[in-house]
Amino acid sequence: MTLSLSIRDVSHHYGDRLVLDSVNLDVPQRSITAIIGPSGVGKTTLLRLIGGFEAPDKGRIEVEGEVVAENSRLIIPPQSRGVTIVPQDGALFSHLTVGGNVAFGLKNRRSTAARARVTEVLEIVGLAQYEKHRPSQLSGGMQQRVALARALAPHPRVVLLDEPFAALDAGLREQVRDETVRALRATNATAIWVTHDQEEALSTADQVAVMLGGRMQQIANPATLYQYPISQHVAEFVGDVFVIAGTSVGAGNHVQCALGDAVPIANACPAGPVNIVVRPEQLSIVDEGSAGSVSVDVVGSKFFGHDGVIEGTLSTGERVVIRLQADQLPQVGSRVGVTTRGMLLAYTD
Amino acid sequence: MSSRTRAPFALVAPALVASVLSLVPVWYLFQTAFTSGFAAVVDELFQSRTLQLVLRSLLLMVTVTSASVVIGVFAAWVVARSPLRPRLLLIIAFSLSLAIPSYLAAFAWVSWIPGISGFLGAFIVLTFVCYPFVMLPVIASMDISDPMSEKVALSLGRTPFGVFRTVTLGQSRPAITGGALLVALYVLSDFGAVAAMRYEVFTWVIYGAYRAGFNPSRAAILSTVLLMAALVLTLIEARVRSTRDTFRLGSGVRRATNIQFGIPARIATITGAVLLVALGAGVPIWRAIYWTGFDSSNQVQWDVVISSIATSFGIGIVTSVVTALVALPIALLSARYRGRASQILEGSTYVAHALPGIVIAISIVYLGIRTLRPLYQEMPLLILAQVLIFLPLAVASMRSAIAMSTQSLEHVARSLGAGSMMTLLRVTIPLALPGIMAAGALSMLSSVKELPATLLLRPTGTETLATQIWKFSSVSDYASVGPFALAMILLAVVPVAVLTATTRHGVAR
Amino acid sequence: MNQLRTKARVKQLIAGAMAVALIAGCSSGSSESAETSTGPLVVYSGRSEALVAELFSQFTTQTGIKLEVRYADSGELAALLITEGDASPADVYFSQDAGALGAVEDAGLLSTLPSDITNLVDSRFRSTQDRWVATSGRARVAVYNPELVSVVPNTIDDILNPMWKGKIGFAPTNASWQSFVTALRVIRGEAEAEQWLTAFKANEPVPYEKNGAVRDAVNIGEVSLGLVNHYYLYEKIAAEGADAVVAKNHYFINGDVGGLINVAGVGVLESSKNTNAANQLVKFLLSVQGQEYFGLKTFEYPLAAGVAPFSELPTIEELNPPAIDLSNLKSLAETQELLAKTGLLTK
Repeated sequence: MTLSLSIRDVSHHYGDRLVLDSVNLDVPQRSITAIIGPSGVGKTTLLRLIGGFEAPDKGRIEVEGEVVAENSRLIIPPQSRGVTIVPQDGALFSHLTVGGNVAFGLKNRRSTAARARVTEVLEIVGLAQYEKHRPSQLSGGMQQRVALARALAPHPRVVLLDEPFAALDAGLREQVRDETVRALRATNATAIWVTHDQEEALSTADQVAVMLGGRMQQIANPATLYQYPISQHVAEFVGDVFVIAGTSVGAGNHVQCALGDAVPIANACPAGPVNIVVRPEQLSIVDEGSAGSVSVDVVGSKFFGHDGVIEGTLSTGERVVIRLQADQLPQVGSRVGVTTRGMLLAYTD
Repeated sequence: MSSRTRAPFALVAPALVASVLSLVPVWYLFQTAFTSGFAAVVDELFQSRTLQLVLRSLLLMVTVTSASVVIGVFAAWVVARSPLRPRLLLIIAFSLSLAIPSYLAAFAWVSWIPGISGFLGAFIVLTFVCYPFVMLPVIASMDISDPMSEKVALSLGRTPFGVFRTVTLGQSRPAITGGALLVALYVLSDFGAVAAMRYEVFTWVIYGAYRAGFNPSRAAILSTVLLMAALVLTLIEARVRSTRDTFRLGSGVRRATNIQFGIPARIATITGAVLLVALGAGVPIWRAIYWTGFDSSNQVQWDVVISSIATSFGIGIVTSVVTALVALPIALLSARYRGRASQILEGSTYVAHALPGIVIAISIVYLGIRTLRPLYQEMPLLILAQVLIFLPLAVASMRSAIAMSTQSLEHVARSLGAGSMMTLLRVTIPLALPGIMAAGALSMLSSVKELPATLLLRPTGTETLATQIWKFSSVSDYASVGPFALAMILLAVVPVAVLTATTRHGVAR
Repeated sequence: MNQLRTKARVKQLIAGAMAVALIAGCSSGSSESAETSTGPLVVYSGRSEALVAELFSQFTTQTGIKLEVRYADSGELAALLITEGDASPADVYFSQDAGALGAVEDAGLLSTLPSDITNLVDSRFRSTQDRWVATSGRARVAVYNPELVSVVPNTIDDILNPMWKGKIGFAPTNASWQSFVTALRVIRGEAEAEQWLTAFKANEPVPYEKNGAVRDAVNIGEVSLGLVNHYYLYEKIAAEGADAVVAKNHYFINGDVGGLINVAGVGVLESSKNTNAANQLVKFLLSVQGQEYFGLKTFEYPLAAGVAPFSELPTIEELNPPAIDLSNLKSLAETQELLAKTGLLTK
């Protein structure tokens, strides 16, 4: 599979702060890659470098095999890279119609071919009847879709989406997100998607890249990333977790901790003390005292409708969080039995 | 976003009053022009010389407006988009030419290079005097436009210049056309610069009718031509503007603009900027210094200079406050309650803007002597005349500032139960404060420079910097003109500083 | 919502009432002085402050009558007076130009002056209806450079000779030049005036901004001859000394239209309530003190009180200026048309 984008050992400073530290990323054609990380970590800087608005201090960026920037030299400027952007707030051209916006990147905008393409793309995002409208007449979600259509129309090599749904309200976000993914798939686009919403990343991307501290910590498909995070930081970042102390025993495949004496772990660890990272859905409530269970005092509970979460303390005093079906929520103050399911994650310091 | 709700009465009433006031000169013209009957009017207007001079005025108007747009956009780009810093200094330097009256600038040039007189000199001086009318709203427009949209345009394949042309300029179109209208109307009304440059245009005939023909009624007939021109221009601009909205879309996070700016581009930009400041403001300032002489033979009466400064400043402040207050309802209506009615109200303030200052002054004399006798030749009528002359400037700059400010906060206020008036007072106006202050600053600058209305309507014995300059230049005593000219430019620092503050990043939001 | 609107309206009314009160308060002080006859005398002066302020303060010192002078262009003041009509606050109109006085007179705004005033001035230099009098005169001359000119043109028609091609300077926008052209039209008729102007244009006269510039150009030899007012030469001599000035004046005598004497003059407004004081001012301007002021400060021709002009000037009798009703110089608008038509006005 050929690569649409290849980022090799890219480092970049912002002022005198090192924002990107030897970042590597390969993006296969026709895939969606999500880049997640906390705010300010450098995701937007990375997008700027890919877009061509700056050259990386060190490292190389290739688009479809062509070197576009290397070691502070901007070899191919943004207008010639074939990399389009869907920015955070759409940034539509307020003085043009929707159709004018979408057609903006096309050659020979007046030709029938171009007009057909505009209609085609607008249909994909479901806004075909708004072609003559002005952006100011559309809602936020619709504006984002127009921005997407605009980015897709010129058959770009790569589409960059910078937290594209951050400005939308929650209910809308999911809907627009799904439509976006549909549109990307329908156009066979290669997309890089920056977000701080992990749910979004996990549910839509083919591969997810986790950026922490300016470095790419792990790049993997969503399932792998979720189940086998490469470090405690990554584990804590992707999905909800809580951490308890333990010791690695045996051949390194089990740990001893407050949840049990020989709980299996996913990644092998050398013998010694470890931090155990547990996902709330890995714990189940059973009758107190039943085999293999430990006692937990329930100190808090939250009802979400479709499920619920309870907070409790172990005999060691460590805090646990358990996710379970809403109709089984135990009372606060009661004591329950808890077993683990699946493999936990353990990391040395 | 046009509001479907009805405009509050508390806005419409003062706007109507302001509109009626700004039509006083029109009323005066029609009263006076037709005293000799309709046939005389037609006769007068269709002389071949009239036509010839109208064409010359139009030629000057078209050329100066085009040049002002080019230079104004360039200057705005330097301030708002180029990496040149400090921004404050650039805005001040570029706005300085607003401080200099056209007659003074013209004389500065023609006394230095006599051969420049005629069309070339008039063109040069008027362009330098007028380009800030385009520059200032375009800076505001560029400031609020999302720089991201320019990056997006690049990513979609446009060259940097293509981006500038299609996106930056495209989004600034209302600002550009609004500024261009002001320039066009000003050029039509100007007499000081074209007189000093001895380039005969239509205003010469109007002034001639006063100064040489002693015939106010003939002057009135001739002025109706300018009125028609103003009407046509205003209609054209309204048409062009209404098909292009400049609205804030989304919240717009301001990110740093990174442009590829190599050394040759940097040198070219700095050269252009320096040239602009040197020619636009530098030449008149240097000449004023030169005239002042600063040698022992020139006895400058500093106490007179200072009292004139105080008078000019006082009149300027009052005028700017009153103008801003009068302009505000119209600007609010025009920006938030767009429709035929508000367009008409706004247009009515522009219509008299092509009339030379003396015509407006005489019309206020006409009004004052008949209906406001106790106020005649007192400060209130002079302020009124000045307010009418500067009202279009204020309305234009306020309207574009209000239109550019985001409406989402207003929607929030309405959703919280605030009525239209409350929303206006508590949300819209505070948000529009930079635009209001800019309008006030522009009015003050214009007031300090203003001459014809001041001469006729001032309380007897009142001397402003402008009247002092006139007094001494009419006897060619340029050594005495110098200190007053310098004082006028120094006094302009106050409103220019206010203007600069209102165009600063983040304040314009 | 309605409550809000009512509140807003009430606020508006209060604001409006305050504004009216403010304005009324501002004006109450001034309305008195315009009406009573013990207030200062209001003068509209088209003659510049730099020239005449000193004379006015001499008047106040001598008579104790305070003056409030409004300085502006003579023509604009005439337009102002005409627009103000009989509600004008002005008592006296002091104009640089006879034509302006004529226009204000025609509008019926000037009162007839008492005979003890009109008798002070020759009938050539006052209104035919005795409604204004001249205070000083200026003669049109040809200033020339003796180093370049051996034979001076005698009459104004002589300068049409091709030998003067490109050697004559003039100030096309200057009011005095235009008055001369008006006199040409009045005395010779439109057709002949146009002929003269066309021939003048064919001689390629060199245009300058002002009379002063023409004089300076003649002095340095840039042109040989210049059509200006007589006093410009003496202004320069007074400022720079006789050694710096080589130019000389040539006067067109014997009734030649080129030797037109135009006047500055004064009239009293019909609507004035201060007629006594106004007449006193007029008399003062025509007194020996006033006339000597004009004669010595600006080198103009005194026209009253038997005051002799500055010693180097020929007397009016010697000049024998062309006969013309100076009020007729108000048809300046048509003059400008003609000048434009013959190409002498547009640059």
